[in-house]
Amino acid sequence: MPISILPPAPAPSISYGADPSDSDDDFDLDGDIDMEGTSRGLKRPRTSQRHIVTPGELVTDDTQWMRGHGAYHPPDSTAIHSSVFGTILKTNKLLSIIPLRARYTPEIGDLVIGRIIEVQQRRWKVEVAAPLLASLPLSGINLPGGALRRRTAVDELNIRNFFTEGDLLVAEVQSVYESGQATLHTRSTKYGKLRNGFFMSVSGAGGGGLARKGGIARSRRQVFTLSTGRGGGDIDVILGVNGFIWIAKHVKPKMEEGPNRLEESVSMDVYSSQNNDIGVETRREIARVAGVIRALVEGGRRVDEEMVVKAYEVSLEMEEGMDVEGGDFLGGEKGRRVVEAVMSG
Amino acid sequence: MPPTSSQLLLSPAELSYLHSSLSLTPPIRPDGRTTTQFRPLVAESGIIPSANGSARVCFSDGTEAIAGVKAEVEKSQWRPGSTEQSLQVDEDGGDDEAGQAGTQGTGENSWISMSIEVPGFRDDDALPVFLSAMLTEALLADGKLKDRLWINRRFHWKLYIDILLLSAPLSYPLPLLSLTTHLALLSARLPKLKSEGDEDPLFDDDWEASTYLYPRDTKGACLDRPPITLLVIAVGPNFVFDPSKEELAVAEAVIALSAGTSDASTLNKNLRLLSIRTIDPPSRLTPLGIPDALSSAATGSAPLPPDEQLAAREGTDEHGVWNPPRGGMKRAVLAQIIKAVIEPGGVAQEVMDGLMHVEV
Repeated sequence: MPISILPPAPAPSISYGADPSDSDDDFDLDGDIDMEGTSRGLKRPRTSQRHIVTPGELVTDDTQWMRGHGAYHPPDSTAIHSSVFGTILKTNKLLSIIPLRARYTPEIGDLVIGRIIEVQQRRWKVEVAAPLLASLPLSGINLPGGALRRRTAVDELNIRNFFTEGDLLVAEVQSVYESGQATLHTRSTKYGKLRNGFFMSVSGAGGGGLARKGGIARSRRQVFTLSTGRGGGDIDVILGVNGFIWIAKHVKPKMEEGPNRLEESVSMDVYSSQNNDIGVETRREIARVAGVIRALVEGGRRVDEEMVVKAYEVSLEMEEGMDVEGGDFLGGEKGRRVVEAVMSG
Repeated sequence: MPPTSSQLLLSPAELSYLHSSLSLTPPIRPDGRTTTQFRPLVAESGIIPSANGSARVCFSDGTEAIAGVKAEVEKSQWRPGSTEQSLQVDEDGGDDEAGQAGTQGTGENSWISMSIEVPGFRDDDALPVFLSAMLTEALLADGKLKDRLWINRRFHWKLYIDILLLSAPLSYPLPLLSLTTHLALLSARLPKLKSEGDEDPLFDDDWEASTYLYPRDTKGACLDRPPITLLVIAVGPNFVFDPSKEELAVAEAVIALSAGTSDASTLNKNLRLLSIRTIDPPSRLTPLGIPDALSSAATGSAPLPPDEQLAAREGTDEHGVWNPPRGGMKRAVLAQIIKAVIEPGGVAQEVMDGLMHVEV
């Protein structure tokens, strides 16, 4: 069966006013959203799934509410208007709007994966799925020949030796300007150019993130090594906070003793764009991990180490227990079954 | 906003990984599909009430298209050649038979007009023009559709096919547009003709009595089907159907094949090849990867000048380094692709059968 054609999913039915317990989200006669429903004294944040506000829409003119993310006061007014398209989140007296869709908002210390878009005189411009391109200054990378080597005019001229347009790299957000533009650095052996693997992008940590479904959230470990079955060996998975994912063959770092260890490793392969030999089994497992992550995102689940490991094991079990029809493709129905099995077990 | 580049930018390491995975036997596709497997797609037809036929198709990579078929009655232009032909028919038999016999070979190519709207492109840009030429070519190639538009000696149907790509063209949109057009034409119906001969045409108001543009038998099975155009890429000895945008980026050759029903007999469901076009693969313009041995980042020395570097690189044939493909595709691969498309039970047959079951 090379092709499966599905009928379109029916639009979700919206029943306004059907649920009396949630009546505080109804529009009142003034046309704004009634905020009187706090008498229950709930401490947990509550989101309204029923109303979607649009940019500029009046949320409330009650002065008891404080303005949070995604909301603004117009000049000479105390009313709260929404600045994004999304749902309302109430935390005690704080009112914020969670956008339905948002690009990644960089924060200091985030591990991100980026792609070089532009090379400038002393810096690279990096696409990190944020509203603005991030910048990676020449001083933000480890140069070969020792971590403390001075940056010379020769390095500036040969800037394309390190990174050129299209190159992928893993980096950390060093600082964020007021405009939201991020500055990156790769001054650690953990960071640098990516090779030996496959890139994919899903939705990352945007504004808020509580109400959004699926995608990568900030977690304790963004980089982990997965030991795979079927002779695949170890696979490195890097989950960039910005939603970019790198799945690659695990290459053991060369552990050389001595004071020159860092220099050696930097000079040897940090800026290489040549892949190592990757076995057929490893390639197949990399494709499987990518399929698992895609299925998780399509199922609206969060993507982190725990979920990926669990979903990978489930997909392996399914493969052994059931039909092998349709190859290793984890799309559509098969992907849904994997996600269901992960959530139940 | 960051630039939205229509062409996918990939690093040499990624290109090398994708290319070597697809060159293996059997090839390993980045999403684990088999070579002839399509991604699941969402399709519906008959969505625009004011059009004669319409369809909507969503691919799983997020691209979506709507096609509408609209037929209008138009006065035929008088041509000396065509009049002579129908006069000859007139001499042979009566008026009624002229109506039947006149439909053979009377259709004109200009009776089908196609316009494609791709967001971010002007309607005279190369991409929409090329796409519409390619799709129209396949439609006209079987020669039966345009003859069916003939009403009488003075009037004919003019078929307007409008295709709207709703999303940005993330990958080459040809298969999406072709499948959408196929579905729209399959669902297209023309009102029943009540007038006779060369009178001004008068049609039945009852839409239930209308006839399908592609005729069906009493059980609803199609006697004739619109053509489909499929995109196939070749990498090394392998070929891959329905390429994703990453696969398209490393293709050594990209070809578009149109397949339609054979005109000999519709009972044997043989398909025939209507056209093959090669499309310039985007991988030719990618920068080459630099092997470690030539990399000056490792040594810290100044890099070689570009021409010397190119010369030094020419002899090397290292694994894991990206080399943009050169030359064309092998004839054996092309023959295999054509066989896979048009053989009975082949890919084109499967896709058409799948699209037949889309509910109106």
